[in-house]
Amino acid sequence: MAPTPPRLIDRGDLLAALDRAVASKVTIISAPAGSGKTSLLRAWAGRPGRMDGLALVQVQRDARDAQQFWLAVFDAIRRATGSNSGAQEPTTATPDFNGHAMVDRVLSELADAPGGVTVAVDDLHELHSPEALAQLTRLLTGLPSNVHAILTTRHDVRLRLHQLRLSGELAEIRAADLRFSERETRELLDASGITLSAAGVTLLHQRTEGWAAGLRLAVISLVDHPDPERFVTEFSGSHRTVAEYLLAEMLDREPPDVQDLLLRSSLLDRVNGELADLLTGRLGSEQILLDLEDANAFVESLDPGRVWFRYHHLLSDLLRLELRRTLPAEIPAMHRRAAAWFTQHGEVAEAIRYTQAAGDWREAAQLLTDHAFSLTLDGQAQTMQALLQAFPPGEDHTELALVRATVDLLRGRLDQAAAHLTVAEAHAQSAPPGRRGRLQVAVAALNLSLAGRRGNFDSVVDQARFLASPLTGTSDEAIALGSDLRAVALMNLGTVEAWSQGLPDAERHLQEGAELAREIGRPYLEVGCLAQLAFAYIFHSAATPKADAFATTQRRCREAIALAERYGWGTEPVIAPALMTLAGTMVMLGELDEGEQWLQRTEQALQTDTGPDIRLLLHQTAGMLYAGRGRRHEALEEFGVAEDLAARLEGSQALASQVTGWRLATQARLGRLGEARADLAALDDERAGSGEVRNALAAICLAEGDPVAALDALHDVLDGTAPVLGYATLIEAHLLTGLAHRELGDQSAANQAAEQALALAEPDRLVLPFAMTGSAELLDSLPRHETGHAALLADILDLLHGSSPAAEEQSSMPPTEALSPTELRVLRFLPTNLTRPEIAGELSVSPNTVSTHLRSIYAKLQVRDRSSAVQRARELRLLADRRTR
Amino acid sequence: MDSAPSRYVIRIDGHLGTTVLSAFPALTPQHCGPHTLLTGLLDRSALYGVLAEIEALGLDLLEIQKLGPSKDR
Repeated sequence: MAPTPPRLIDRGDLLAALDRAVASKVTIISAPAGSGKTSLLRAWAGRPGRMDGLALVQVQRDARDAQQFWLAVFDAIRRATGSNSGAQEPTTATPDFNGHAMVDRVLSELADAPGGVTVAVDDLHELHSPEALAQLTRLLTGLPSNVHAILTTRHDVRLRLHQLRLSGELAEIRAADLRFSERETRELLDASGITLSAAGVTLLHQRTEGWAAGLRLAVISLVDHPDPERFVTEFSGSHRTVAEYLLAEMLDREPPDVQDLLLRSSLLDRVNGELADLLTGRLGSEQILLDLEDANAFVESLDPGRVWFRYHHLLSDLLRLELRRTLPAEIPAMHRRAAAWFTQHGEVAEAIRYTQAAGDWREAAQLLTDHAFSLTLDGQAQTMQALLQAFPPGEDHTELALVRATVDLLRGRLDQAAAHLTVAEAHAQSAPPGRRGRLQVAVAALNLSLAGRRGNFDSVVDQARFLASPLTGTSDEAIALGSDLRAVALMNLGTVEAWSQGLPDAERHLQEGAELAREIGRPYLEVGCLAQLAFAYIFHSAATPKADAFATTQRRCREAIALAERYGWGTEPVIAPALMTLAGTMVMLGELDEGEQWLQRTEQALQTDTGPDIRLLLHQTAGMLYAGRGRRHEALEEFGVAEDLAARLEGSQALASQVTGWRLATQARLGRLGEARADLAALDDERAGSGEVRNALAAICLAEGDPVAALDALHDVLDGTAPVLGYATLIEAHLLTGLAHRELGDQSAANQAAEQALALAEPDRLVLPFAMTGSAELLDSLPRHETGHAALLADILDLLHGSSPAAEEQSSMPPTEALSPTELRVLRFLPTNLTRPEIAGELSVSPNTVSTHLRSIYAKLQVRDRSSAVQRARELRLLADRRTR
Repeated sequence: MDSAPSRYVIRIDGHLGTTVLSAFPALTPQHCGPHTLLTGLLDRSALYGVLAEIEALGLDLLEIQKLGPSKDR
């Protein structure tokens, strides 16, 4: 080992050039291998006195996984800005990565950073993901003013940065700028303690053409060389290429064990002492690696603890060639040893890569299949796909059908997924007993996922039996794989059950899935199960009016969303069911503004998802929102889209009848009677007989001026003959009945129907059906003293007359002393026309008690009279809160 | 686009040694003054593969010449 390591010299001119460059938004350092790009970047970043944060991202060799790249970027930025602590969990990968949302997060993290930040991406040419490059372009063109970026690359990368170039925001440092001058060559030699004549320096500079890697290699050989002048003369007289000549010289000067270690460990993209020992069959590799790094011999550690090392890419490429030339027969065995080590240490992707490199395709296929679920959960779906593509045509094992199905499902290619699943199922049956169980659960989990995506829920029961007994394993790893699998299967099963079968099964499986996920540290699955649980609950609670069903649902939604947010998944597809459900319940309760906000977030979360089921709900809820606001044209459009999506589901008729019913009724209310009639006639008997479509028929009849026919249509709904999706359908039926009676001039029957609707709506305070049916006049003419639901009625009329309080006003209000439950009860009568004695009668208390409460209410709300109390109460949303009722 | 392989001559600065030459098994090397000529039949993707190797190994590419489809192979 050389006693005096060559040092990097302070290349002041070059650093100054980079300083000038980073005055621009983006700096690209583009130059061939060995030009000293990374050295420049590190020297610049490590200078004393640099004030802003540096987020340095090293692109892995042949990187193909957009998510892995962006997670590295995000974590580097959070480290640089010091926001790496607090309530947030470390960024965690998800199976459904949303690149667009990720860039948004990166941008907002940067915008919030105190002081400046430099984002540096080293070896960008290794990033072979068009998706990641497109997102990077978006990041670079949208950087906040306190942020700039430096990219290093071997060749110009296809980023679309014309705009930056035109506006002078793009600076470049290229090979010619990086070249060492003769003076710098001299300084480098001096700094390394090498004595060389002026002529020798000139010769060396000419021969290497100032190429950084060449000079560094030369210095390693020149340190302690008995005759530096002769070395330079010989080098100069040779026609060999610079790198090859100097590499041979350098290796020659190393002891045989170091040479052997360099050659053998060049096989791996990263190496540690243990692995190097395995590959060389000797101990003590770690010390050699440390010495090589200290000698600046193109070996660098990857972590502060100096456990992992990598070689300069140019050097490792040359060494690999030499290894293949000199020890070709040993390479497969070395790959196998590395694969075994990585398998043992849970680094699955690398283990599979080296198993493939060894040519052990069958074993590689088995490893990949066994780990498909875990890799997906680890957010390495794109890595998995790259590994899958690496199998040559002749090695297409049926084993891999399961992996192909997984990838197809993730990409939304459902038909291909189904075809591969059929092959995987047959393969599982013929597998040895030890693996058969696990493969069958995996196939079942994927079948469930496919069924969910297609809305074909009939196959569920059949798949559930694979989950009856827990998977057992003989090793920790087998148990872990089994748990991942089981948790995924439970989530998929519960999800499908939520859509089809019924609450008890769905709730049981989702809860079990969430618990298991928490135990095994898979927050993604926990969030997924909880999000589906919230949806399952409302979906099935809607069957009967039940006090607090909506409140419970909303609480569950918020809990699931809070958990998702801790991991940075607040707008990921996995939480979409909870966002959707929260939006839907808000709209149902007449909280339209808040509902709209949640709906927008759902839409964001669903950017990358392709399943028709949840999109159906998205459009249906948007339609409800428009209908609630009286914007029927837009509502019709949304219901239409939702219905098209429903047609793509193979099951779930109940949901379909809901959206069909609303679409037809909206058509009728818009006066498109011909269309509505024609579409109604085209429905099959089952759909046409549903309560939702009967309601629509009633709405059509009303619009046609035939209230008697409307009453006739509603008969089956009200007497329970027609199946209904939820009791909201019954509220609608009562309201339509009331409207029909009103048309017929029977005010008393109309009032009675309205009162029945109110009674049904009261426990959950469902407001939307009143808006959707256009029942304002029906309610207006309901005498106040005839209703037992005065407060609800007032809320509904607020909404129908467009005076819903804006959600954002809430936070700007000065704090108010909390009202007692009794005061709240009194308060809810204030919007009505009831007098004090009448309120006292309603509450079964004396008028004096009511007066006392009123004074207290006025004082607490800081108002002087009843009407301003009502207004203030609305602003504070005290009238809508049902928990204190 | 021409899909048939063509004969290419690739001129690189310096003399390539056995280690570096092993990266180009499909090409025949020949020294030409201070340069190395690599000659062989390549289709387009093979050509780009060779160029990527040249880049990765830090070689100095001077010239690429296409001699047209070969009849002698």
